[in-house]
Amino acid sequence: MKKNTDKTNHLIDMSFKSVAIKDPLKMDDTIAANYRGYVMLDPDKDFVLNDETGKILEKSCPTHAITYQNYDDLKIHLDNGKCILCGNCQVKSPELIKITNKFDLAKKRRDDLIETFSMYVPYGKTYDELGKELKNKINKIFGRSLAIREIDAGSCNGCEIEINALNNPIYDIERYGITFVASPRHADVLLVTGPASKNMERALKIAYDSTPNPKIVIAVGACACSGGIFGNNYATTGGIDNIVPVNVYIPGCPPRPQALLYGILMAINKI
Amino acid sequence: MSHREIIKKYHSKLEKFDSDIKKLENNNELHLVLNDPSKLHELCKFLKKDLDLRLLTIICCDERKLNHGFKIRHVFGSDVDDFFLFVTSSIDESHRYFPSIYDVFPSSILYEREINDMFGLMAKENPNIKPLILHDFPNDVFPLRRDFKLSDDVKRYSKQFEFTPITGEGVCEIPVGPIHAGIIEPGHFRFSVLGETIINLETRLGYAHKGIEKLAESMSINDVVFLSERISGDESVANSIAFCQAIEKIAQLTIPQKAEQLRLLFAELERIYNHFGTLGGILTDVGFPYGASRLNILKEQIMQLNERLSGSRILFGINQIGGVKTNMTDKMLIDIHSVLDDAFQIFEKIFDLLKSNSSVMDRLRNTGIIEKQMVRDFGLVGISSRCIGIETDARQTHPYGYYPSINLKQKTPREIMEHQVELQKRIGDVLSRFMSRVDDLRQSKDIIDSITALKDDGLSVSIDDELTPYSSGLGYAESHRGETLHWIMIGEHNSIFRYKIRTPSFSNWPIIEHAVLNNIVADFPVINKSFDFSYSGNDL
Repeated sequence: MKKNTDKTNHLIDMSFKSVAIKDPLKMDDTIAANYRGYVMLDPDKDFVLNDETGKILEKSCPTHAITYQNYDDLKIHLDNGKCILCGNCQVKSPELIKITNKFDLAKKRRDDLIETFSMYVPYGKTYDELGKELKNKINKIFGRSLAIREIDAGSCNGCEIEINALNNPIYDIERYGITFVASPRHADVLLVTGPASKNMERALKIAYDSTPNPKIVIAVGACACSGGIFGNNYATTGGIDNIVPVNVYIPGCPPRPQALLYGILMAINKI
Repeated sequence: MSHREIIKKYHSKLEKFDSDIKKLENNNELHLVLNDPSKLHELCKFLKKDLDLRLLTIICCDERKLNHGFKIRHVFGSDVDDFFLFVTSSIDESHRYFPSIYDVFPSSILYEREINDMFGLMAKENPNIKPLILHDFPNDVFPLRRDFKLSDDVKRYSKQFEFTPITGEGVCEIPVGPIHAGIIEPGHFRFSVLGETIINLETRLGYAHKGIEKLAESMSINDVVFLSERISGDESVANSIAFCQAIEKIAQLTIPQKAEQLRLLFAELERIYNHFGTLGGILTDVGFPYGASRLNILKEQIMQLNERLSGSRILFGINQIGGVKTNMTDKMLIDIHSVLDDAFQIFEKIFDLLKSNSSVMDRLRNTGIIEKQMVRDFGLVGISSRCIGIETDARQTHPYGYYPSINLKQKTPREIMEHQVELQKRIGDVLSRFMSRVDDLRQSKDIIDSITALKDDGLSVSIDDELTPYSSGLGYAESHRGETLHWIMIGEHNSIFRYKIRTPSFSNWPIIEHAVLNNIVADFPVINKSFDFSYSGNDL
């Protein structure tokens, strides 16, 4: 009997106060300052875009998320949907590329993930103001509980680690009334990861058709948004939206739990 | 023994075959070139019986461009020596067959099926030549041949995959997947059950096939590092270390000591957060959410530590060829030690609690048993082999990086004996795998604790020269799943000619079909989680 009381002591030792983050959508010190979350085009005053710097930037990206264009004016396009957050571009061109630890990146349209820097409109506003506006709109959204079905369409399982983290006691997504369900037939939202491998194409279509209307599809991660590092090859389809219609894109490789929550909130705004 | 002495030893043992083979050396690799492929079978028998080697992988390479036809390399390894044996045979293009060695090394069945899918070369006697990776692909498309272009559009058509029929009175089939109820990767399981008991399981994988090996051939070697991290997201450090070490071996590059220390630290951190996660997953599957939540908190704490150290929660972007990209200050090292000290203090308490909880222990004990014989037959590595008392660990058999330099506390004879007794108790059930993971965790903690100061000799060195075209090298590392092997052949202008990846998941997957036999269907999730294989790492 005595031994038993010892064990209860262990329990008491461990049960500290709630560990859950108070407000996961607030930027605070729970996110490390050097966390690579979002690549931004933010030129220094002395930055000059020319053929040389443009080519260097374009070459620095292993997934071709950065493209340089020299037709009527010089332009740099940065596609966050393809970015795998390797940080290579910042090393090669620190004057233009800034990497911040932001996570509110989800967008409703694929094109909104593409940022452009043009030589003739310097210091222009970045597209993420749309994101901020949406963020302000989001309040009192959880009036209705939301059922999510996660589908892996060939991801490397990095995104799954972060989606699983949403369910741990620290992010604890269930406190907002969001549950992960076992079947697409029970789901309002499909959370799809991976570049949509050809072998998963049919299964993904079937799952989409089995989900009752109205349904929302969220593409999670660079692979799901654009094919990511895998692109569009003989075995992949180059993004979820080539198979099923997508409502919200969450870029990142992988997107951190806060970014996922932000994207899910944006999707709910649609209902 | 140095590499040279080991190679010499095997040189002399192979004298018997001198008339049929040519020998070439490359660091710790000995290459035998067979003049006549039909001799392969005889040689394999000798390797297994007399030299006690095991089959690690079979690599096929399309070298028709160099007028070599197709080259097939059988790679063997030893449990005691730091040594790899490559047996190379050439197959002419017109001759579509190569000899199967499945009756000597049964694990070869899987590799031969893979070669049949990707190169269209058939192992003549192989009893099971069903498609493995490509689903619904035409019969004349072989993606890894050089004349197939990465972006070629393949017309696919619907084919029915034939599962082995299991019939009899009262036998039911349960199809599961590829989309599962939990948040996991895709794969199909076909159970045949009699009542609650599983009498047969056939797995069909390949759903996560993304063409990684083919894709690497179109990328520059520096970019392939990013690709190697994404073979399996939770093995990013181990896989990129193996890739970088293969290139560094080819380039004869010695990387700074500090870079090796950092690689070791990140590799062990990766092991720790994944083991916490897997142990938590096992507890979820036996219905003990309290323990699972506690372990998931620990996992999250390590992931937050990862984020502070490297800017990525799952340690992407650590390695580069010639060293590491992420710097570490002494302050960060102190951070690691203090976070781990706290985490392991709590972990030991949770572990004590679990040991005394009979509802957990009863579910784990005698569930999903595998036998000792299977380790050799299937070529199991990592936890799957340690759970039955056979220690395979690339960190010990093939010491790499900073591992040979660390000083762990000397074990007393009593502790060594106790460890041996503990190993004898392992019967290959879920509980044994649980305990092996706990051992692994504690060992990782000791390894990290042994690094108290960082060297000060830079983070990386660069390769200036172009690498010799068509030179090759084998890189290896121990991930939390087991030994991962990356074989690279360099092409012209620092490109990749062939990148063969053998993750521990690929060699271990078939064991699940045997482990579940005579268990109830409800125990399948916990058996599967106790092995914790990667689907993406298997399908590539």
